[in-house]
Amino acid sequence: MDDQTCPKCKTTKYRNPAMVLMVNACGHALCESCVELLFAKGSGSCPECKIPLRRNNFRVQLFEDAGVDKEVDIRKRILKEFNKRQEDFPTLREYNDYLEQVETIIFNLVYDIDTTNTNKLIDNYKKENKDIIQRNKNRQSQEEMELEELLESEKIQQKEKAELYVNAELEEKKQKHKAREKLIDELMFSDADAKSIVASHVQATAAIAKDQSKLIASGPPAPAVVKSNKFSSGVQIGLRGSQSSFLPIPKQEDLPLYSYTATVFDYNGPTPPAIEMLGQLNYFANIRAASAAERAGGYTEALSCCRALQEAMGGLFYCPQSSHKTTVAMVAEEVDDMEIT
Amino acid sequence: MFASSTQRNFWMFKDESDVSNARLSANLKYIASKGKNMAFHQRESYFLSALEEKILMMSCEYQLRDFCRKFQPPMPRCVVGTALHYLKRFYVNNSVMDYPPKEILVTCVYLACKVEEFNVSMDQFVGNLKGDREKAAAIILSNELLLMQQLDYQLTAHNPFRPLEGLMIDMKTRFPNVNSPERLRPGIDEFLEQVFYTDAILIYSPSQIALAAIIHSASTSKENVDEYITQILFAEDQKRLSNLIEAVKKIRVMVRNVQVPQREMVKSLEKKLALCCNPDNIHRSHFYNEIVSTESNDESLERHIRSAAMKGSRLLKNS
Repeated sequence: MDDQTCPKCKTTKYRNPAMVLMVNACGHALCESCVELLFAKGSGSCPECKIPLRRNNFRVQLFEDAGVDKEVDIRKRILKEFNKRQEDFPTLREYNDYLEQVETIIFNLVYDIDTTNTNKLIDNYKKENKDIIQRNKNRQSQEEMELEELLESEKIQQKEKAELYVNAELEEKKQKHKAREKLIDELMFSDADAKSIVASHVQATAAIAKDQSKLIASGPPAPAVVKSNKFSSGVQIGLRGSQSSFLPIPKQEDLPLYSYTATVFDYNGPTPPAIEMLGQLNYFANIRAASAAERAGGYTEALSCCRALQEAMGGLFYCPQSSHKTTVAMVAEEVDDMEIT
Repeated sequence: MFASSTQRNFWMFKDESDVSNARLSANLKYIASKGKNMAFHQRESYFLSALEEKILMMSCEYQLRDFCRKFQPPMPRCVVGTALHYLKRFYVNNSVMDYPPKEILVTCVYLACKVEEFNVSMDQFVGNLKGDREKAAAIILSNELLLMQQLDYQLTAHNPFRPLEGLMIDMKTRFPNVNSPERLRPGIDEFLEQVFYTDAILIYSPSQIALAAIIHSASTSKENVDEYITQILFAEDQKRLSNLIEAVKKIRVMVRNVQVPQREMVKSLEKKLALCCNPDNIHRSHFYNEIVSTESNDESLERHIRSAAMKGSRLLKNS
């Protein structure tokens, strides 16, 4: 829960959970009624730090910690002035230094360290970089406008799509209605057999349903008004590099079908008897029989017997060789030496 | 299977000299990095030589064996085998001075329990250790990742026990002339125990080791299994037979040359190790004495003081 107590009236917050805390420029919180009270008296100063305040400096607190709100405000204010971008700096290092400078300024202002000097710094910066600030401001506002335009166009597109769908549904309903009426008319007035009429109707409706689904699947028709992105003289409007071009979808190539090849085991030893032959060769006489519980789980003596035999036979032909990394590296070095000499 | 396993493809050596070369290079690397400011003969007396490291490793392996023997709940053989595999592989790439062997030992056993699906919780595990259990648990857990990294995360170790069972079954089925292969079991078990103190598992395949065990035990009990081998196993491939016979002979020689290291020598080497080891990799140097406490009280007190000094120096370094 938020700071439950307004520091001034203390009790009112408990009684009224709908009470809203307002925060001011120095970062202290006050509930709405206290704010009104404070400014009704005419004098405006923070009850904790006595900084003179104005009524419109109070904003509804967005964050739980009033300190965060204060920092957010200061940051917004400062970044309006310090709005250089990476392109304005020749190297990455200078950009990072600039950013660090900005952070230090904000930090100092938030924690009230050395405010006079910091403010001087800000003013100096403003004077020196007036035109750059202005240009960046313009750039920003332009970008914002372009973004808004994009959003607008997206919204319009979506609306049109929705309308199309609604229309299509209406059409379908009308058609169904017509078909039903037709059926009833035919039954009443024609002389043919009732069953055959119904059957032909069912076919007709099925055919119509198929057409409808095909239509919808193929997507709504392109909007009647195409937004032009070029002036008549050929100059492009708006942002360059709009997101209308996507990469083509990669085509599925026809690769050869997968065919199973059985794995071949190299035992490096005499081949053990195959698992199917173990029973005939009377191996199971020498192995513990599987209990009923084990057999129910799928275990048979053949499995463990086969495994033991494979492990026994495997590796009997093995010749000692060096595969350890240190020895392999040493051998490689020797080979290199031999090649050089 | 062994033939396609990482053990064969990454952790095999050509012969014993190959293995000792690898260990030597690890040893030299450590000495070179730590003893930069020392003269040559000073280094020799201060650091452990490769041979001394080998003796220490052997005593370590014996300790591991004892630890696993007394382990509650009773530990199956394959876990012990896997733990010894890991220990050997770790110290082929690293020097004994770099990482304290007793910490790595416990971590190897713990990891082997997990890999071989012998389910032991951490509490049960450290219940088998003497001394501070929480510290032990902390040490093991912090070393586990290091161990896995040094093993290149290749944790499947093929032990000779399953090939042994397979050969026994095969013998009983296809070669009934030999009466009761079960009589050979005690000899086989002893042989397999001894073979883990050699480097045979890093050179030969597990089925060859199992076969060597059978042959050894058969010869000591005056049985003859040669017919089985020549006629049944190698009926198709007579030339590979000579290769196998050579391998078996070498394995038996290796086992015969196993020497139990003497206690005094081990103690003196451990003292030397305490002086020249890498203090960054020891978590609590006084702890691991208590796993297998063979030292007297004076020495452990000395070690307490030494560890406190090392801790102090480490703190100073970090600040």
